[in-house]
Amino acid sequence: MIAQELLGPAVLVLFVGLILGFAMLGRRWPAVFRPLHGLEALGAAIERAVEAGERVHLSLGTGSVTGADSAPAFAGLAMLSRVAAATAMSDRPVVVTAGDGAMAVLAQDTLRSAYDRARAQDRFQSTSGRMLAPTPFSYAAALPTVLANEDVSVHMLIGSFGSEVALAADFGERQRAFVLAGTDDIQSQALLYVTADHPLIGEEVFAGGAYLNVGPLHRASLRAEDLLRTLIVASILIGTVLRTLGDLV
Amino acid sequence: MTMADVRCPMCSTINPADATACSVCGARLKPMIAGEAESLAGPPEPQEGEAGDWLARIRSEVERKAETSGEAPPRPGEPEWLNRLRPASGEEEGPPEGELPEWLSEEEGSAAGPSEAAPGEVPDWLARIRERQKTELEAAAEEAPPPSADDDWLGRLRREEFLPTEPEAPLGEEPEREAPPLGPRPPSRPLPPSSPPAPAAAPPPISATGPPPSGRIPPPSGEKPAVSQAPPFMGISKDLLEGAMPKWLEGAGPSSDEGLPHMPALVAEEGLAVTPESASDLQMGSIDIPNWLGDLRKDAGVAPPDAGAPGDSLARATLPAWLEAMRPMDTFRPVVEIQAEDAQEVESAGPLAGLRGVLLAEPVVAMPRQPSYSGARLEVTERQFALADLIHRMVEQEASEVGPKPPARRRLPFSRWAIAGALFLAVALPALLGAPSLSVPTLVPPGLPALITLVDSLPGDRPVLLVFDYEPAYAGELDAVAGPLLEDLMQRDIRLATVSTRPSGPPLAERLIRRIGDAHGYLNGQDYVHLGYLPGGPAAVQLFARDPRESLAGGFLLAQEPTRRGMWSTPVLAGVQQFSDFGAVVIIAAGTEIARTWVEQAGPWTGASPLVMVASAGIEPLIRPYYEALNPQVDAVLSGLPAAVAYEQANGRAGDARLLWDSFGTGMLVAEMALILGGMYGAASFLLRSGTGTSES
Amino acid sequence: MRLRLSLLWAAVASAVGLLVLAGFFIQTPILIALGGSLVGLAVLLAGVALLLGLYNLLSVHLRKISLQERGWPYSALLVLSLLGTLVLGVFFGPDNPVALVLFNSFQLPAEASLMALLAVTLTLAGFRLISRRRDLLSFVFVGVALLVLLGTGPWPSGETSDTYLLIIDVRNWLAQVWAAGGARGILLGVALGAAATGLRVLLAADRPYGE
Repeated sequence: MIAQELLGPAVLVLFVGLILGFAMLGRRWPAVFRPLHGLEALGAAIERAVEAGERVHLSLGTGSVTGADSAPAFAGLAMLSRVAAATAMSDRPVVVTAGDGAMAVLAQDTLRSAYDRARAQDRFQSTSGRMLAPTPFSYAAALPTVLANEDVSVHMLIGSFGSEVALAADFGERQRAFVLAGTDDIQSQALLYVTADHPLIGEEVFAGGAYLNVGPLHRASLRAEDLLRTLIVASILIGTVLRTLGDLV
Repeated sequence: MTMADVRCPMCSTINPADATACSVCGARLKPMIAGEAESLAGPPEPQEGEAGDWLARIRSEVERKAETSGEAPPRPGEPEWLNRLRPASGEEEGPPEGELPEWLSEEEGSAAGPSEAAPGEVPDWLARIRERQKTELEAAAEEAPPPSADDDWLGRLRREEFLPTEPEAPLGEEPEREAPPLGPRPPSRPLPPSSPPAPAAAPPPISATGPPPSGRIPPPSGEKPAVSQAPPFMGISKDLLEGAMPKWLEGAGPSSDEGLPHMPALVAEEGLAVTPESASDLQMGSIDIPNWLGDLRKDAGVAPPDAGAPGDSLARATLPAWLEAMRPMDTFRPVVEIQAEDAQEVESAGPLAGLRGVLLAEPVVAMPRQPSYSGARLEVTERQFALADLIHRMVEQEASEVGPKPPARRRLPFSRWAIAGALFLAVALPALLGAPSLSVPTLVPPGLPALITLVDSLPGDRPVLLVFDYEPAYAGELDAVAGPLLEDLMQRDIRLATVSTRPSGPPLAERLIRRIGDAHGYLNGQDYVHLGYLPGGPAAVQLFARDPRESLAGGFLLAQEPTRRGMWSTPVLAGVQQFSDFGAVVIIAAGTEIARTWVEQAGPWTGASPLVMVASAGIEPLIRPYYEALNPQVDAVLSGLPAAVAYEQANGRAGDARLLWDSFGTGMLVAEMALILGGMYGAASFLLRSGTGTSES
Repeated sequence: MRLRLSLLWAAVASAVGLLVLAGFFIQTPILIALGGSLVGLAVLLAGVALLLGLYNLLSVHLRKISLQERGWPYSALLVLSLLGTLVLGVFFGPDNPVALVLFNSFQLPAEASLMALLAVTLTLAGFRLISRRRDLLSFVFVGVALLVLLGTGPWPSGETSDTYLLIIDVRNWLAQVWAAGGARGILLGVALGAAATGLRVLLAADRPYGE
């Protein structure tokens, strides 16, 4: 029981150590990640949108701040900082929507910080980060209005979604926008595979920060995730073999 | 500027008519030989006013002097200065006829180097001339002003307004070279008689670097030295520079009285035209230079006869280093080599017509000219060609790029309409018409018997907690799936309590329980109670499971005043003090996360009470491991409409699940057909395109 | 000053997160109580943030109405509906009969219609997936979906045929072995990603609260 109680903290400490270690080794041992077509095409899509005077829309999902469904939304906020920097001086800066009030406030803070870094404080508008609706399907119902009125050409869905994400992605496809979508819910990921041009399957939604070069710790944490995943896979295989051998014996 | 004003030939400053030197640069304004200037201008034109008067005076003087000196009046076509040349006396007689001086014969072969002759080879006539000049120098040296603290040339600069201080090095030559002879004499002109200078009184050699530091060149007698040196290209004799009037210039006119050396005006006086013929007389080489000046150069290197110079009381001046650095000699060395006067073009248009040495207006400025290069074909270098090719390829690539998608035509979504219409018909027809009717499932889901057994074993005196954690959108499915379970519980008269972590949960619970409970006589406040909305999301689940009474402040649709005490004191919740006091916990959820949250956060607090999961068909794969684990955290699972229909059949009572079964079945068939047709279409188009590509290749 | 404030917020966020995390692993009364209080405070703030979100929603639509931008009548209807239900809920309670009627007559049918629209969208997306994106993964995806549909829904010919039984077995095998296993693997990765995201917030590498 003590070992079970200590297992969690030990894994946590190991995770933190790996993140910090990879962050320090980052320069001498640069990370090489597998290509993610959606994230790689995102930069070009944003540039095209900026040049064409069209808008980028980022949705942080319908999850709340206080639950486990806030993790993909935080990943979306990390990507938002980069997207906002890229579109700060555009005619139509990025607009962020969320299905939760607290998440909308966090989006506003992230936008404000990005504009401060770009020395464009006067271009920040608080309505750039907004709450569309408090419930998931009403949020999805309000999306077509945003996509049509704001001339959105890049439609990013990075956050916690339910089944309504299929509708949200389909609305973007009907708008002929570049749709990049990722969530933590498995059922929703299956729906996104069918409806979105560039779905992010699995934990790829959490890799957005590393691929967009948000910071060195993002890349380090992704490397730490990969290493821990490998360890878990190895332990599962070993456990399976041992259990099978035990049953055989 | 009036007709009487004079323009300085050096700096173009306008000066009064009577000025002899320029007020700015000090250059002589009137030519040294007034008659010569007049002859250059050609036949004088009748002048009016003062300009004509002074010229007439000069002419009259010349004629008078010619008469007095016995000189012949100037013949037309001949320059006057030639006539004024004194007939050579016996001593000044030049070389005998037929004999050319050595320097003249060596003129073509030698460069700018001095023509040195052996001391023993000096002709007699030359010796006589040198001797005479030497005498003149000695006389001039006696009248020389005391030397100043600075170098003599500097002192003369201070006395005179402007004197050229050009070193004697000829134009275009190296400064360290010795100055060449001061211009070749034209062969047609006899050499002026000159006496070789006395060796003792020879003035210091005129070096190219500047005036001899030790002394000054004694000026000719009677003349104040104006300049110590002048550019040798000017061909100005030393005595001229020092103010001595050359013999051939004697009696020239008023300008000779002033004794200031000057050079002939390059610009004719106003009103006087300079004809090419007369302009040629201004050639520097035509000015007579005494030979003694050339001999002085030959004697360069000899110790300056400062001590021996008769009448030269000036100490050898030494220039300080800073002053030595200030010598403007180099600056006077023009960068551009000025062509000889004969080679210079004559301006033929404009206000400077007739002048030499001026920038030609028409061919250079006014008139367009052909480019100097052969412009028929553009000369392209290899690098330029490579760059042009690169730009050409870039332009081609730009054109070949896939441009932005143009605004697509608004096509009618036939496929969307077709599929939507098919689905609508498939769902509506069985509900409206009752046909087609599909057979109910005969296979019992694996987990259904366990659920039925579990419900049968529930104690009747403890309420069951129902968690309604799904959105209104899922009400169509989950109401039908949860309905048989609620029917079973109501058949056993088990009290019910509902809670939700969503604001829309309590209304959904009221709707479902009201619809099913009406048949069983269930009343709010007596048979069931709504604990209400549990705020805080998943974080509140653990708090509720830990202490339900403290977590919920109020209820929903309570029959009495909503106070915390009142709600928990209702008969429905009698005996419930903690989470484990509930008879069972039934979680009705459509999302994976909330289902797992309740299982993981509230499961440890259920104690011995079973936990039942009523889930949407989509999340069943993720919930089943909790049910099938070695230590299951979920005691029973009811998922999907087929399981609900089977449960209704087991209850023996048809409910919403059976009503929806036919529509559900036909809708599934339409979806299956759509997928099959899509696969067939994709395969056919793939085969057709591959076949077309093969045939084309 | 600004740098100090940002460091202060980062320190507060990290400290609170570490306390709650410590209370989860170290079961001491003081840490449990402290963690519970902090979580309760977070829940309270989330509720207040909901009000902020509603205020933001109102301001956006009011601006749209005042400028008469495209679609402003719908914004006006939204504002009226929001204010009406808000007043109704505040003064008469959320469980008053009018609110229930509004819920049962408007919200429930609207969301149910959107779910029906989702069914059409997914069917159409499946059709397009197999007809346009003709790669191996798409064929496998659609094939598995077809098997599950066939094994879930009723057959017009009944459920007594061997084929139906075979399909049922394949469907159960796909759902309970392959789907469940794959889902578990994805869940592990998602958990790692979520843990990494949370740790970045605790380490102040990610500052969603602004700098």
